Amino acid sequence: MMASRLPAPAGVLIDRSKPITFNFCGQDYTGFQGDTIASALAANGVGMLSRSFKYHRPRGLMTAAGQDANTLVQIGDEPNVLADLRAIEAGLAITAQNVFGSLANDYANVLDGLGRFLPVGFYYKTFFRPKGAWRYWEKLIRALAGLGKVDVGAHHGYYDKQYLFCDVAVVGGGAAGLAAAQAAAAAGADVILIEENVRLGGALNYARFDVEGRRGRGLRADLVPRIEADQNIRVLTGAFANGWFADHWIPVIQGNRMYKLRAGAVVIASGSYEQPLVFRNNDLPGVMFSSAAQRLIKLYGVKPGTRAVVATANADGYGAALDLLDAGVDVACIADLRPQRGDGPLADAVRDRGVPIVQGATVSEAIPQKGNLGIEAARVAKITGQGTTADVDDRFGCDLIVTAVGYNPTANLIHHAGGTFVYNDDTAMFELTALPQGMQAAGSVNGSFDIDAVIEDGGKGGWSAARNAGCKVGPMPTVRNDRGAFGVNHPWPIFPHPKGRDFIDFDEDLQVHDILDAIAEGYDDVELMKRFSTCGMGPSQGRHSSLNSVRLTARATGRSVTDTGTTTSRPPYAAETFGVLAGRSFEPERKTAMHHRHLELGARMMPAGQWWRPEYYGPPERRSLSIREEAAVVREAVGIIDVSTLGGLEVCGPDAAEFLNRVYTFAYAKQPVGRARYLLMTDQHGVIIDDGVACRLHDHHFYVTATTSGVGGVYQHMLFWNAQWRLQVNITNATASWCGVNLAGPKARDVLAAVCTDVDLSSAAFPYMAVREGTIAGVPARIIRIGFVGELGYEIHAPASQGEALWDALMVAGEPHGIRPFGIEAQRLLRLEKGHIIIGQDTDGLTNAIEAEMAWAISRNKPYFVGKRALAIQEKNGIKRKLVGFTLGNPADPAPKESHLVIRDGEITGRTTSVNYSYALGRTIGLAYVATDQAEPGTAFQIRIEKGRMIDAVVTKPPFYDPDGRRQEL
Amino acid sequence: MAVQPATLNRRSFVYRELAALGATFREVNGCAVAATLAAGRAAEIAAARDLGLADLSGLRRGGYKGWTALDWLRGQGVAIGENNMTLKQGDGSRVARLADSEAMILGDLAGGSALLDRVEAGWSITGALGAYPVPRPETNFWFAIAGRHSDTMLAKICGVDLRPHRFPDGAVAQTSVARMSAIIIRHDLGATLGYDMIADSAAASYMWTSLQDAMDEFGGRPVGLDAIVALAAETGPA
Repeated sequence: MMASRLPAPAGVLIDRSKPITFNFCGQDYTGFQGDTIASALAANGVGMLSRSFKYHRPRGLMTAAGQDANTLVQIGDEPNVLADLRAIEAGLAITAQNVFGSLANDYANVLDGLGRFLPVGFYYKTFFRPKGAWRYWEKLIRALAGLGKVDVGAHHGYYDKQYLFCDVAVVGGGAAGLAAAQAAAAAGADVILIEENVRLGGALNYARFDVEGRRGRGLRADLVPRIEADQNIRVLTGAFANGWFADHWIPVIQGNRMYKLRAGAVVIASGSYEQPLVFRNNDLPGVMFSSAAQRLIKLYGVKPGTRAVVATANADGYGAALDLLDAGVDVACIADLRPQRGDGPLADAVRDRGVPIVQGATVSEAIPQKGNLGIEAARVAKITGQGTTADVDDRFGCDLIVTAVGYNPTANLIHHAGGTFVYNDDTAMFELTALPQGMQAAGSVNGSFDIDAVIEDGGKGGWSAARNAGCKVGPMPTVRNDRGAFGVNHPWPIFPHPKGRDFIDFDEDLQVHDILDAIAEGYDDVELMKRFSTCGMGPSQGRHSSLNSVRLTARATGRSVTDTGTTTSRPPYAAETFGVLAGRSFEPERKTAMHHRHLELGARMMPAGQWWRPEYYGPPERRSLSIREEAAVVREAVGIIDVSTLGGLEVCGPDAAEFLNRVYTFAYAKQPVGRARYLLMTDQHGVIIDDGVACRLHDHHFYVTATTSGVGGVYQHMLFWNAQWRLQVNITNATASWCGVNLAGPKARDVLAAVCTDVDLSSAAFPYMAVREGTIAGVPARIIRIGFVGELGYEIHAPASQGEALWDALMVAGEPHGIRPFGIEAQRLLRLEKGHIIIGQDTDGLTNAIEAEMAWAISRNKPYFVGKRALAIQEKNGIKRKLVGFTLGNPADPAPKESHLVIRDGEITGRTTSVNYSYALGRTIGLAYVATDQAEPGTAFQIRIEKGRMIDAVVTKPPFYDPDGRRQEL
Repeated sequence: MAVQPATLNRRSFVYRELAALGATFREVNGCAVAATLAAGRAAEIAAARDLGLADLSGLRRGGYKGWTALDWLRGQGVAIGENNMTLKQGDGSRVARLADSEAMILGDLAGGSALLDRVEAGWSITGALGAYPVPRPETNFWFAIAGRHSDTMLAKICGVDLRPHRFPDGAVAQTSVARMSAIIIRHDLGATLGYDMIADSAAASYMWTSLQDAMDEFGGRPVGLDAIVALAAETGPA
């Protein structure tokens, strides 16, 4: 392709004062700011951008609008960049895709000569025979498959999302969209106008509506400033409305951001796709749509060729011819597919400029340059019937073939919303017949092609949308009856060639005979034909193949195009990256008031739901030692653990005790103020769902703790039940308002006494399972004497904002006693030594209270609690498993892991739930479910550990440590 | 008088983040509140006209919940509006009605609330049967978001239509922000668009970071309480 820059006003998008150098396939090129990669390359005479997917044929600009796969290139680790949309940047390094070797010398192009061995659907019938052949084919196919190269090690980019709201969303910023936005805004609607190109105006920017070539510019100059000045209109350019979902929810992608747009009403003014003329070698670089040639000229100031042949079936081809002539391109010939002379001022003007016009003729073949790198000439032949041409043709030397044979509505979003189109044989185009509520269509997507009709149609669409959005509107605008749809589409722009290479689908290298062969094989429904042939399944999603393939299917099956129908269009409208779909990663995390203190003390933090908790303190290489030391200090002196993540619920009201009596298994009606009591919550099936402690602070007030992960569910459970019981009780989830620490160990009282002077801490005044309110170093606190880890312990709950001060005070007070913080690993060991279960670890989604040996926590005297009836039935019917403590038969055996299976005679009878090595006891201990007849203390059973090895275990009644509980009741 | 947060028992949930921004703290309600940051008052006022984020977690707030909560509050002289609307009280406090059984009280920007003082003094667990305090100062952080870009910035992390003409001054949204439950209240500061955000205190640091990330493209930045107070005192066009 020989090309050069044209003087202004051509090139409205480029800034000639700002040259930019970039690299394509190893060679530097210079373009201007505003150029796309493709336009800059075209300005440098580079017409070939990529190779085709299947045959590796050279491909170049076809639409210049990002609508085809010909321009897909790779930029660094980003594959499948549309070169006719992506702007150039300094230093950009671009490579071609689908190339083995170099773009100019692609050795995989040999496939182009092997086409007859690769018939449609060949991959369904090949590769699986003989048996075992697939493993050899797979490597080859994987090497050939895919578009571009994904860097699986690519870094995370910055993507995000944003909600948008408006009364009226207008999709498409061409003449119809501009008129629609203006009309809707005039009615007082908040309008968002979405345009996929960088410049508003659509075809007004490049199409030729009049001989002088002023009309488009003039209309744009009239409409766009008014849009830009309208406070009710927000314009998003370079933005794709990528789908339509219920209630006018539209994802709009602009760069690395997805807008989640919710509109009151929608106007689809998305225009239409220009359609290809099918002839031999219609895919070569240098064959392009009329709109593409005009875009190159008008938007980028690029002369698309030196000598052109124009094949047209409508006025737009003549408009393009005039633009080519104005750009200095020699138009060798116009092949007008229509049998009669095309009338109208544009055709007359072309004729007046001396361009030969061959009526009733088409380009029947593009003669390629050597290596198919471009075109050398066009053969123009008379049309003799539907899809047939005369054997005699004229040859015109040219480097450019421009086609203008019609359009297909850009109806994607309308299809997503359930709108329907029917083929009109008179206009040879699909026409809109039904739209969903709240959606309007305007412009060429709605069958309006005359520019005045387009603007009227847009105005009416905007008016209707504003009305649908609830705005006060004036009288309905009128639109003309003749909207210029006749004489736009040629009914059969398909001219198969005996030697093929007459492409229907450029993405998938499908030729006319491929479609016909698929139908001949029985895939005579368009949906089946599509899937068997892959027609329309490439990156351009049938934009340029759908209409012609449907026409072919209709003729081959003897049906009308309307009866044949079209394939289904689903979101997304355009390709979207996973990054855009994922958006910015929101991963909420909660930190306790002492979080930074843990970090300062060298804690290894681990997630617990959304919370971060210290797993242990110290470097990873000392993990086991740290856990052992932390456990030991609790047993021997005093330790402190952050338990702020425990749930905290304030249950208040005169019926608070009755409420707890109903939602928990234990009895609370007579629980004295100042006492704490264990809580076990079951669901209606008797399954354990949580546990905690109820602290009675007043006759009307319980402070209830819940597990870290369970509190959300417990709160919902409580609200659910009280919505039915309507007891006089109020429940507040106060988890975040209370921080908590457990101060545990034989020295715990001494430490607390140093900073808490307003509570009598003596064992008599403040016994085990009592609760007191006081202050600790000036921090108000609820102090509970409980012993999860089996030592003298105080669980101290204080306002979250004062948690750090509380921690500091206790650490200072504990220093003389050798206080150490301990993490949840040490706590898990310590509680296991006491045989205390952890809900969710030692229970599962089916564990009932009987199985878990929690019958002691069930009050059988009260009339009701959630799950009581189910538990009674389970007790009556008997259970099949039981949670027991165990030790190893041979202490030298390796410790089982959690969830290792308990097996008897080859049958699974249970599993381990908690296993740890107790340094205090000098042996491995654990909890496990076993069959009920294995549950008696002293019973031996076997556990299958790693590699299938069986080891012996013995049921041992917990607590393993301090079975009398004397240490915690000191 | 300037104080260091760690010298007081009560500490903001994001005091470390504020200290890292060069905050000068002063004591309010026993808590160190960031009065200004390194940029200084004048620059922060200017910034907050476009987009500013301030931590008000040290200021007074409270709430009552229960089947008689609204009636009991009315009996204490509290004016309560419609659900999901806020009413300004005579002392400068604001009362947001969150449900038929719950209201939240936000004190003034000076850190006081005569209304809360009075209500809290009048409450007892048996005397206010069916109305129970919600520990808002501990359960929730309180951030102020100010500036003309506030609604657009919030649209990046919140799905509610907060545009000024759709979400009037005083309106309340109980919603999800950056995947966390949050209460957003439109609270214009003088002529400057503003919102309060009240959410889980344990997630204050997460939300602080999320908001700053969302603010970046607008040039938004954290500011001190003084900038918020100054904007609130303005009555002319922002």
